Amino acid sequence: MNNDKRTIVFDDDIVRKFLIVTIVWGIVGMLAGVLIASQLAFWKMNFNIPWTSFGRLRPLHTNAAIFAFVGNMMFAGIYYSTQRLCKTRLASDFLSRVHFWGWQLIIVFAAISLPLGLTRGKEYAELIWPINIMVAVIWVIFGINFFWTLAIRREKTLYVALWFYIATILVIGMLYIVNHLQIPTSLLHGYPIFGGVQDALVQWWYGHNAVAFFLTTPILGIMYYFMPKAAERPVYSYRLSIVHFWSLVFIYIWAGPHHLLNTALPPWLQSLGMVFSLMLWAPSWGGMLNGLLTLRGAWDKLRTDPVIKFFVAGITFYGMATFEGPLLAIKSVNALSHYTDWTIGHVHSGTLGWNGFMAAGMIYWLVPRLWNTKLYSIKLADFHFWLGMIGILFYVASMWVSGITQGLMLNAVSTDGVLKNPNFLDTLNSIRPMMHLRLLGGVLYLLGFILLAYNILRTVRTGKAVNGTIEVLEEEGHADEVALGFWNIFLNPPVMYSLLIIIFTMMFGVGPDTLKMFALVMLIFTLITGYLHMELSGSSWGEWYDRLLNHAMPFTILTFLAAAIGGSIQIIPTLVMHNKNHIEGYRQIPYTPLELAGRDIYIREGCYNCHSQMIRPFVSELMRYGAYSRIGESIYDHPFQWGSKRTGPDLHRVGSKYPNSWHYKHMEDPRSVSVGSNMPNYGWLITDQTDLRSLETKLKVMIQLGVPYPKRTMDEIKSEALAQGQLISDSLKKEGIIVEPDREIVAVISYLQQLGKSEKVDQPIKE
Amino acid sequence: MSEQPLPNSTKQNEDPLRPHSFDGIQEYDKRLPNWWLWTLYLAIIYAFAYWFWFHWPSVGGIVDQGVEAEQELNRIQMAALANGGGEVSDDQLWSMSQESVTVAAGKTTFMANCAACHGPELKGGIGVNLVDSTWIHGGKPTQVVQTITNGVLEKGMPQWGKVLGKKRILEVAAFVLSHHTKDEIK
Repeated sequence: MNNDKRTIVFDDDIVRKFLIVTIVWGIVGMLAGVLIASQLAFWKMNFNIPWTSFGRLRPLHTNAAIFAFVGNMMFAGIYYSTQRLCKTRLASDFLSRVHFWGWQLIIVFAAISLPLGLTRGKEYAELIWPINIMVAVIWVIFGINFFWTLAIRREKTLYVALWFYIATILVIGMLYIVNHLQIPTSLLHGYPIFGGVQDALVQWWYGHNAVAFFLTTPILGIMYYFMPKAAERPVYSYRLSIVHFWSLVFIYIWAGPHHLLNTALPPWLQSLGMVFSLMLWAPSWGGMLNGLLTLRGAWDKLRTDPVIKFFVAGITFYGMATFEGPLLAIKSVNALSHYTDWTIGHVHSGTLGWNGFMAAGMIYWLVPRLWNTKLYSIKLADFHFWLGMIGILFYVASMWVSGITQGLMLNAVSTDGVLKNPNFLDTLNSIRPMMHLRLLGGVLYLLGFILLAYNILRTVRTGKAVNGTIEVLEEEGHADEVALGFWNIFLNPPVMYSLLIIIFTMMFGVGPDTLKMFALVMLIFTLITGYLHMELSGSSWGEWYDRLLNHAMPFTILTFLAAAIGGSIQIIPTLVMHNKNHIEGYRQIPYTPLELAGRDIYIREGCYNCHSQMIRPFVSELMRYGAYSRIGESIYDHPFQWGSKRTGPDLHRVGSKYPNSWHYKHMEDPRSVSVGSNMPNYGWLITDQTDLRSLETKLKVMIQLGVPYPKRTMDEIKSEALAQGQLISDSLKKEGIIVEPDREIVAVISYLQQLGKSEKVDQPIKE
Repeated sequence: MSEQPLPNSTKQNEDPLRPHSFDGIQEYDKRLPNWWLWTLYLAIIYAFAYWFWFHWPSVGGIVDQGVEAEQELNRIQMAALANGGGEVSDDQLWSMSQESVTVAAGKTTFMANCAACHGPELKGGIGVNLVDSTWIHGGKPTQVVQTITNGVLEKGMPQWGKVLGKKRILEVAAFVLSHHTKDEIK
């Protein structure tokens, strides 16, 4: 036997790199957040210039917070822990560096392109297609580096943190690629291949699960590594890890449609979104329990160790947010909360509380170890904790009050059959104090984080970068010594019972009446058999799982299947059934060239960040906005513009509601016609020329996407657009407004005046 | 608070640890808390019950939210008209012409009382064509209501005011207007 020992040096340099940029981008992202919060409260903070207006900066804030701040934090945590959990150095120094520099380059491109108005008009998926390709490539490189490291690991068994990392890498890859499928019209612009309801479903499948698999699962993995390390206590329950991991991965993916409750989304999808959100509550809390209860026997550290403080508070906020989430996903609660600040508060208790505090805890724990020194000041870290905590509470509480107030005001109908608050602006101005409190909360949180940056800077100065090492036996080889075999991966009781349960549940869900009853009986039979089988087989199921944990590839395949089922069952039928022929009686009229140009300007300015185009079937909305939005009325919208937040009113039926001159004045200076509005001025639309040249390619792409446009030459398109512009220009002239027909504002007016106009088509209305 | 020291024997050290350790991290294997399990089970049972109720055609819990909202709106508006002076504006009538419940009610009344002269497709016959762009007696919604209510006796259009009552007349007007758009009638 060869007992020679060998020293492995971990690549901690890459961890330090990711950690430093986490802090830098964190400050940038939070600064952007504070700026846009101030813009909501004080419209002048938009500075009357395009690059700093709310609609362009809000995507910058969200992208920076998610992909730059949490992204880099996740990479640091994953790279640090994976090397140690696998007892090996990362597979490739080169790939790690490509990953690092590539990701930073993406962030820089995003920071440049978003203020310029280069956007795809889909939330958290705004970046334009060349950057999308970069993201996909870098993500794959990250994946290769990670799985390669798993392949050469010396520790056979996969620790629970690694399960979560595996799920993250696979699912984010899948979500990102599908939601970014598009046809380019130029180097800087493209149209998503999905339109209307299909685009809405795919977008929120992505959007919701970006929260799940970018902001949640990797951080849970990080929690499973750093929490027991910092507490120096064992993890509370291995079997809870198993149950909550698999239920989380399986259930999360289905919940996306809860972002589209009470909209034109088909009812069966809305119901799935709601009930899966409710079922998600327990799996989420499983993670919280395992995190908090790991501290059993070490609660005293909560008083002294800032790392534990941040972790405990972060996990508690996770528990709070994952309780609030299912609550907001209940259809009747959502009727009140949707489009209001309540949702914004909810997501910030997740990002500020869970992500931000877990990041802070991890940074305070890692930096002294990576630089072989002590933290410069524990007091300062404590102070950061309390500043951050008070900041979050200000932020979240004000958003609760604001969201519930505005929701109630907007939905209120008086007994004599009229809206209690017919003017939208009354509801906006009643929540102004809350906007100020939220701003204060954000500033406090940012200040706390700046303290962290200072503390870390001082700490690093006193230390010296060191790389962790580990001694391994020379003969400790790589893990996958025996292939598990097809039988052992798939054809075993736990997997087969799960599969049967899913199949019978599906039959119950969508089968014809007779089959439903049969499926339900079979389902109950399977559950009972499975339970008895498990009890009778003693520990053999557990042994199977332990064996599975020694095999990275089979584990990865099963994880992918668990996560892919939900999306497929929702998206594939929607793509097949809800195509451009499925319109339920109302068909959208395709945009004229000028209107399409106007729409692209609307998207460029990020109007969808504050205006929805989806009237829900409530009496109050019918009164306020007009007939509710039908599924067929946005089939030609690539991307869809249903929106998720109403800082201003819904715009779906704004067409013909006001004269052209109203729109002109409203965009030049919103307050001239809407007293008390917080919308930015869009002066540049009046001076800038509409880009008509790109229309030829854009219309061609629209034809490819299935929009029934006639073939037109460039000259025809141009003259048609100018003729329509001339009509608007003439009508404005009558009101004393002189504007050339080729200005952007004319295109936007043409678009707005067309909104909500569809043709009725006699087609049997069915579910 | 008493200063009594806690007996050491109650510490959780008796919980068995899993044999393996990962970079020094160990794991207990504690049972899942019952309240947690029941939260999960009840949510699953609720999901089945919800689906059963709302998506099983023969159970009948399925509702068309849109139709429901429009019926409710129609009820509120009609009640308000009955209570108030019954004055209705052009804009109100245009929005009523977008509400499928109101329009459907109007269609029923129209087919029973008006189609004989104006034709089931509103293209006219004894009476005038209602889907072209000519409005002999004014095409504003309130004018249409006026014409139906008071009739144009010299041209053969009877008075419907007392026969149909205000509610049905507004519905018929909404039905007629649903064949037109606001822009086309000035």
